[in-house]
Amino acid sequence: MKNTAVVLALGIAITITSCHKATQNPGTTESFATLEQTVMTDFANNTALPQYANLVSAAVQLNSTVTTLNSTTTDANLQAAQAAWKATRVTWEQCEGFLIGPVESNDYDPNTDTWPTDKTQLDSLLASSNPLQASDIAALPQSLRGYHPLEYVLFGVGGSRLAASLTAREKRYMVSLSADMLNNNIQPLYQSWTSAPTNYAQQVTTAGNGSTAYAKKLDFFLDITGDNGMAGICGEVGSEKMYEPFINKDSTITESPYSDNTLLDFKNNIIGAQNVYLGLNGGKGVKDLVASQNKSLDNKIQAQFTASISAFNNITVRYEQAIFTQRVQVQQLMDQLAALKDILENDLTDFLKQYVKD
Amino acid sequence: MKKIYIVFGIAVFVMAFSMCHKAADFPDSGYDERMSGGEATVLDESSKAFTIPVSGMSARDERVHDIGDQTFDQTFVAPPSPIFTGLGPVYNNISCVNCHRNDGEGIPTAGFSNSGLLFRISQPGSDANGGPLRVPGYGGQIQDQAVLGTKPEANINITYTDVQVTYPDGTVVTLRKPDYTLQNMYLPITGSYMLSPRLAPPMVGLGLLENIPEQTILSFVDAGDANGDGITGKANYVYDVYTKKKEIGKFGLKANTPTLLTQIATAYQQDMGVTSYVQPVESALGQTQMNGVVGDVQPELVDSLLNYVLFYIKTLAVPARRDVTDGDVKTGQLIFNQINCSGCHRPSMRTGIDVTLHQISNQRIQPFTDLLLHDMGEGLADNRPDYLATGTEWRTQPLWGIGLLQKTTGTAYYLHDGRARTLEEAILWHDGEAKKSKQQFMQLSSGERAKLLKFLGSL
Repeated sequence: MKNTAVVLALGIAITITSCHKATQNPGTTESFATLEQTVMTDFANNTALPQYANLVSAAVQLNSTVTTLNSTTTDANLQAAQAAWKATRVTWEQCEGFLIGPVESNDYDPNTDTWPTDKTQLDSLLASSNPLQASDIAALPQSLRGYHPLEYVLFGVGGSRLAASLTAREKRYMVSLSADMLNNNIQPLYQSWTSAPTNYAQQVTTAGNGSTAYAKKLDFFLDITGDNGMAGICGEVGSEKMYEPFINKDSTITESPYSDNTLLDFKNNIIGAQNVYLGLNGGKGVKDLVASQNKSLDNKIQAQFTASISAFNNITVRYEQAIFTQRVQVQQLMDQLAALKDILENDLTDFLKQYVKD
Repeated sequence: MKKIYIVFGIAVFVMAFSMCHKAADFPDSGYDERMSGGEATVLDESSKAFTIPVSGMSARDERVHDIGDQTFDQTFVAPPSPIFTGLGPVYNNISCVNCHRNDGEGIPTAGFSNSGLLFRISQPGSDANGGPLRVPGYGGQIQDQAVLGTKPEANINITYTDVQVTYPDGTVVTLRKPDYTLQNMYLPITGSYMLSPRLAPPMVGLGLLENIPEQTILSFVDAGDANGDGITGKANYVYDVYTKKKEIGKFGLKANTPTLLTQIATAYQQDMGVTSYVQPVESALGQTQMNGVVGDVQPELVDSLLNYVLFYIKTLAVPARRDVTDGDVKTGQLIFNQINCSGCHRPSMRTGIDVTLHQISNQRIQPFTDLLLHDMGEGLADNRPDYLATGTEWRTQPLWGIGLLQKTTGTAYYLHDGRARTLEEAILWHDGEAKKSKQQFMQLSSGERAKLLKFLGSL
């Protein structure tokens, strides 16, 4: 009888204690909220702003080499301008890892990076009496502004450009294209993150705490993860920009055909997404949020970023050629990118929805 | 034997009557109020909320949707070009998405690369099909952009004048009344002409709206105003250039287009100058600036791409409502019904059967429209008839997704020409058949008005 009572008491005790479900996540909730704020602040100050500042520097450099090429038209100066164009592309494509805020809502992206170039109108523009000042460029359709028309002038079809072949009108156009990019788009983009009226860095750092762009912190994290952010760029590269030329076996619909920069553009897009995840310049990134609660998910995401970026190295010829001669490698790369997009879109998004509660 | 006949007779009698009783929808309380598009709803409240496909598509359908998506975003260029050719010679913008920002609405400016406001033009009278009378040299729409070497048909000058409205409680709201004039016309117009502004509307739930049966729309008509609420409603019947038939109009701000296919093809043709199998003739054909362009060339937009864009638009999901359990939102909803906003902005209805696409088939949806034309008063009038729509009539704008426009556009604009900067301004512009409801809105306390606006924000 006594035994029964003991067993009963034990049973009750076990039942009651097992009713107490552990509610605490590893690490206290308070420190997680602090970490969220740190990731937001570091994203703005260490990842986004420095990259936009680099973009301004690169565009200033591009503008100066183009100006030099205009005054002293030598092959050496042409090569300097081409190198500066490619350097600007590296920074810009990496900034596309987070297409949030003014870059889209103020049209800085379509104003500088619309594809394809309107070759027919470009020819008639050069043949016309349009004064081709920077202000005239700003009034043209987006398919005659930005990186790709400048790429066409600097590199020529098949990268065949020689300094001697640049006409006076082409030089005028190139100088104004570069000035339009710098003064009307890239500088304003940076300013829209640093100063009123938009001050988007502040919108980010005050997410969930007075920000008009993000009522909740979760809104911000979903924005840099979803269609405007990491998953979006993986999808755009993997299932659109790589897939369409590949499946159609059509090398006329690739991104930067004149400069041979297509594959590098793609790779820098994915590096840009990785920068958002890891954080730059010693700042914390989304990875710190994930690792604090779910280290295996963090490992999975980091491994997939690494696998995707290194899969680019398996393609050893220009992308316009690889879609014919290295189809296996291209397919493998697209598979990696699809897997990466899937993890970001599903696993990471679910994680954020589960843990970011403010 | 006789008994059997009687029993049989009664059975037939009962069966016949019970079969007459058509199963009605469950009461509204039986549905999740968030699911504005029924099965075709997505739980997303980001700036991309209008761009998300319905779920449950096959891999093949997803691929078609994706190509349609890319084509919708694609910039078109002037011919000849191996890819994406056909822009112009005159146009309003160079891609669909430049006006329908994030698949949402446009920005109410004209002539810039991000402009989403266009102008229809016609002369007094009507054409052979009862539609607006085209203006020689201009057609039915002003194209205010042109490829190099061609002049835009005209530029639009937009000015606003402030108009103040005072509530009975003393609160003052400033509305802006627009004025539109043509400038730099490439050709003078003989005689008078009428202009009608149209802001690019959001792409929310268009497949569902197309699938609403004609008899459902007609059941909303109250021609003699039998219930005495001041609201009558009228269906527009319009000529379809593709089917060559008169059909009920569902799309366009005056319900002047019967199908999505014609709506999309006409936008490509009129807004971008891109021809297709549905609209094979250049918008500028016959104009003096069309030197050398002949009428019957091959369509510029590949047939499949037009069909894919149609499929893309039909398979976009409707964003779910937010905050449906919030007390203020619920009160706002009651007020919405009490002051009879719901007389035209019908909260719920059911779509017809579409065996090819179960997501939009037989769905209970909450579009907040009756798709009918209503007199909206002099203040909003464009004074330009469009088939059966008079100069003061507009189609009831669906309200689903309206609470997300701020996010999808960056800055939200309301009404047919984007003159209203807030939902409150939009309500205050209502007149004509909506006059009674507007007046009742103005009689509300400021707290009640805020709740109504909060309800609209949850849509």
